[in-house]
Amino acid sequence: MFDWDSERARTRLVSRETRPPLQVVRPFDLPDGSVLLHMQNVAGGVLGGDLLDVNITLNAGARVQLTTTGANRIYRPRETDGPAVQSTKLYVGAGSLLEYLPDPTIPFASARYRQTTNVTLGDGAGLYWWEVLSPGRTAHGEVFAYEKLDIAASIDTEDGSPVVRERSIVGSHPQPPPSSRAPSLLPQGDGQELVSAGQRQALPLHLTFFPSGRRGSLRSRLGPYRYLATFYAMRVGASSIELLDAERSLTDLAMELSVPGETVWGVSALSAHGLIVRGLSRRSHTLNASLIAFWRHAKRLLHNEDIVIPRKVW
Amino acid sequence: MAAPLLSLLQLADSQTPIGGAAHSFGLEGLVSDQDLTVDDLQGFLIGYLEEAGRLEAIFCRRAYDLASSPDDSFAPDWVRLNREVSAWKPARESRVASATLGRRFLRLAMGLSDEARLHAADAVARTTGCDIHQSTAFGLVGSVLGWGIDDTALACLQQNVAALVSAAQRLLPLGQTRAARLVWDLQEVIAGAACAGGETACFTPWLEVASMRHPALTTRLFIS
Repeated sequence: MFDWDSERARTRLVSRETRPPLQVVRPFDLPDGSVLLHMQNVAGGVLGGDLLDVNITLNAGARVQLTTTGANRIYRPRETDGPAVQSTKLYVGAGSLLEYLPDPTIPFASARYRQTTNVTLGDGAGLYWWEVLSPGRTAHGEVFAYEKLDIAASIDTEDGSPVVRERSIVGSHPQPPPSSRAPSLLPQGDGQELVSAGQRQALPLHLTFFPSGRRGSLRSRLGPYRYLATFYAMRVGASSIELLDAERSLTDLAMELSVPGETVWGVSALSAHGLIVRGLSRRSHTLNASLIAFWRHAKRLLHNEDIVIPRKVW
Repeated sequence: MAAPLLSLLQLADSQTPIGGAAHSFGLEGLVSDQDLTVDDLQGFLIGYLEEAGRLEAIFCRRAYDLASSPDDSFAPDWVRLNREVSAWKPARESRVASATLGRRFLRLAMGLSDEARLHAADAVARTTGCDIHQSTAFGLVGSVLGWGIDDTALACLQQNVAALVSAAQRLLPLGQTRAARLVWDLQEVIAGAACAGGETACFTPWLEVASMRHPALTTRLFIS
């Protein structure tokens, strides 16, 4: 839990309770009065059956930058393990600011993982939050080889108004033999197009990728891309005119950073209080720099402030 | 209502004058980025129905049920439901398109029927400034006019897909016969999505990004 210390014009950590495998490194003061907090999974990743809870509270006026020390690796579980679950609750009180910048999620082959992130925003609260979802350990030839991902996010204002609702349930299972498929339902292009020829040979059990329990192809959801990035930029109380202006300005950046077929970015004003930036890419290497560019631009537009890039190895 | 089937056939028709033909819901963006071809359409629409279609059907059904709720709870629940739909639609143009078509659909039905609940739904939306989405308007109207709940959800998705295929005909070299075949072959998927129920989820990032990029196109055939 964080408070704003008005005498020192700094954010201070009021209380902390952590239990392994999640730990937080001590908060570091930043020049703008906020604190930087690194969250670390001492197990190196999420194991099958893990039940992880994260609760962060920013009381009125507090300013916190929360990041992780490495990618969120979702390990291959044992057959008998239940799905790993991470539940994150973030309360951003009146006039406070949270910058939540975790490293990408990398689901290993056969991973089963559920993640829910619920954010509540008070009056005038600000939020900059990104998430990147990787297709897997691509260097090991694991591309969409996870068993099931169920990733949900919600953002609400303190009065209970829903601002964002997202839930993606994606899984894979072996492709049925061609003879058993009805021709009229054959997906036009399947997950194989996302995998290089060499990688295809390394993945005999995951030749085609379908969202769990459904027949359509992953390609119909992701197009020719593998990586998904989402960034929210919020300021409760921002007017619809401000949001539309910000959308136009960030869209210029999105077009500049997009190379259709390789990486595409889109920006949209939400129904209230903020914007979403969404990106799809075949490769991961440009995503981080682009997200920082969006963060920098959005924070200037919504808060008239510069970003402070967290001290960490990206 | 003497013949619910007749009112359903009339209001679910693609020619219903609510302006649906002006929207592509992101399809134009996909075509513009040269990511979608005629050969991709069937697979794309299957994925669309299993994700976005399923979500629309869930909200259509919730609105259908809400139509018979007590007077004192209807107004706040109606507002809450439509705000939730807005929260599920990240791309502004597609969200606004859904709200535009929903409002027009409800008002068209109000002009044809004197059912008090339709007027109450419109009045509370005006007062609170909340959107009325296409799926929720369809569910509410279907319930009030005596359509079955499954028929209502099916017709909602059928109308939705027909509009997308119609947009595809204007964006891609897709002839009338092939377009009709496309919709025909999707019957099983439409039925599956309309009646699936269960967890509320939707994974359509490709279409969402295309919809977000649509306002930046230099020449456009569609509003969304």
